[in-house]
Amino acid sequence: MSALVDPLWLDGIPGEALPPPEGGPTCLGADPLVALTGASDPFFERLDRLLEAEPAPAAPGPRVDEARSARPRPRRRWAVTPSVSEIDPGEPSDLLDYWLDDDVRRRLQALAHLAHAESGYDRFGFSPGAFRRAFPFFHALHRRWFRVRSEGHENLPAEGPAILVANHGGLLPFDGAMAVVDVLLHTDPPRLLRSIVDRWAGTLPWVNVFFARTGQVVGTRENFVELLAEGQLVLVFPEGMNGIRKPVTQRYRLQPFHVGFVELALRTRVPLVPVAIVGSDDQAPILFDLAPLARRFGLPTFPVTPTFPWLGPLGLVPYPVPYRIVYGPPIHLHERFGPDDAEDVRLVQHLADEVRRTLQALLDRRRR
Amino acid sequence: MTNVLVTHADEPVGRRIVKTLFHDPAIGVIFAVGSGPAPRAFDRFLAGSPPRLLYARGDLAKHRPASDLFRSARFRDADIDSVVHVPAHGAAARGVRLVAGLPARTAEARIVLQQCLESPGVRNLVAIGSAFVYRLAPGNANVLHESSELDLDPSIPAEIRSWIDCDMLLHGEAQGGALRVVLLRVPTVLASGGFVFLNPWLEGRPGPRVRPLGFDPLCAVVADKDVARAVRLALRSRACGVFNVAGSEAVPLSLLARWTGRSAWPLPSPARGLVATALGALRGLPAGPRLPPLRYGFTLDGQRADDELGFRPAYRIGLARAGDGRLRLETSAV
Repeated sequence: MSALVDPLWLDGIPGEALPPPEGGPTCLGADPLVALTGASDPFFERLDRLLEAEPAPAAPGPRVDEARSARPRPRRRWAVTPSVSEIDPGEPSDLLDYWLDDDVRRRLQALAHLAHAESGYDRFGFSPGAFRRAFPFFHALHRRWFRVRSEGHENLPAEGPAILVANHGGLLPFDGAMAVVDVLLHTDPPRLLRSIVDRWAGTLPWVNVFFARTGQVVGTRENFVELLAEGQLVLVFPEGMNGIRKPVTQRYRLQPFHVGFVELALRTRVPLVPVAIVGSDDQAPILFDLAPLARRFGLPTFPVTPTFPWLGPLGLVPYPVPYRIVYGPPIHLHERFGPDDAEDVRLVQHLADEVRRTLQALLDRRRR
Repeated sequence: MTNVLVTHADEPVGRRIVKTLFHDPAIGVIFAVGSGPAPRAFDRFLAGSPPRLLYARGDLAKHRPASDLFRSARFRDADIDSVVHVPAHGAAARGVRLVAGLPARTAEARIVLQQCLESPGVRNLVAIGSAFVYRLAPGNANVLHESSELDLDPSIPAEIRSWIDCDMLLHGEAQGGALRVVLLRVPTVLASGGFVFLNPWLEGRPGPRVRPLGFDPLCAVVADKDVARAVRLALRSRACGVFNVAGSEAVPLSLLARWTGRSAWPLPSPARGLVATALGALRGLPAGPRLPPLRYGFTLDGQRADDELGFRPAYRIGLARAGDGRLRLETSAV
């Protein structure tokens, strides 16, 4: 139900892998990079000044290039759902309804407010009806197969936009699907998490339709900004395809991040919420990636796992490993940096690395 | 008071624009030009004394008739200062007609633009363009802005190429001096009764269509009444440039086909081409090679039109039960 990956090639430059910090995430002011390079580099001088400065004012200066700028327009009405208590679940009308309890049915019913009344679709192709039909399967995966436990729901905003930044793994994007189900079940008003998916997924027959109908969106800059402008929760996997094809020896070690999400977080003044998903890297441990074969078939990866390709398509079934999802405290980059700082490639890269370290620390803590 | 010339006024969208402008008190004389006889819907408008609506026949894809029209005494007497160029659609758009080696749509846009530039009284040109000119990223739905990239791939079908050529011709003059050019990029236009226009895939007579198996792209739609409103607002405003005219709805292709009384057969690639060609030959439906494959969908961001023209969609599109008890497509005011 969710994203394959989010490369967010949105002018982003994948960062170099940095060693994980000792003793948890570093704060921006204590960045070892700054200490190592000293003040001779104008970039780090500027960074120092920024870090010492007061938070940037809420209303920045005029936009230089309207076409490139990506701030959400304030007049846009946010897509909101009613509170669970305001929804009458009604009588069960079909078999699916008997499968789900009242609370879940209320939540699914609340999502109908996100689509146009006449057509039943929103502007990204999300269909509450299709989502409702798919939901029992993923709900069962959430409760029975992966036995998902989650914490830190208070860090999810009740309304307004936010970018959830998660680690990615496990060959098939069940991590994204579990995050979507978990957010829906633990927010009130119920919120639909919109995963940003790779363009490659958009080329796949049926898959592209399924993703769109269940609320996932192909990761173009315009789509991303529009979702935030509508006040939606957006899930990104900044590791991109490298996340899902990393070998078992690299499990839970975050790959270099694509940086587009940081740039857009600065431009749109939206908080980042780190999400550590423990379990996804165990659901399909990749022994190695047959890259030449993948290139031959035009695939992003051709993984070899203990079960795939030996068991055929059955080998893609994820192992029933327990999942743990942790929503970390929001990172308000926009309180320290202005939208114009998104133009600074090195700063954006640096901030993406910081987010990566924060997420890595969250991941490491919860794995223990 | 603005005096307006409307091209292709005998086609459905042109008719709707003429009707809307006729009821606008800020509009004086409307000079409607069509390739056929005056539509019967214009009868009561033409009967006024002195008539606010004039009607003339002419093929604007050819230089001589267009030149004669723009230099005619009627045109001069009407004191036309604005031109609304509606591209050929409906019956006029069937088949690929070449004029001097160019598709008729492109030739027409070029000649109308040239005549507007050469006519000293004409100060505004509002043209209807197509939103199918954008390059689509893979995906079921993508939001497109006016600044999104056009599809300049040389392999695109001729139908889309002609739209892009028109778009670029007009866009090139949008920042010019004397003539204010407004280009309205519209998605699929729907009208009450299940009529569909400016969609290369669905336009034409009802009947089966073929679509790629496994793809059901989201299609932006807009009501014909909203298009007419956008034209009216564009005539009133002082803005120039390109504007997306976005409706409030977006529907999957399969549902859109159903709404408009067509069926959409999902077929794999090789069979799709054959069946589309056969349908084109046997039933006169839009043939395969000149149509886009329609794998990927789009919706339009209409914020710029809202900001600068004051346009927001005012009509909903959906199915309603008609007097005979059957469901049919209706547009109704929000």
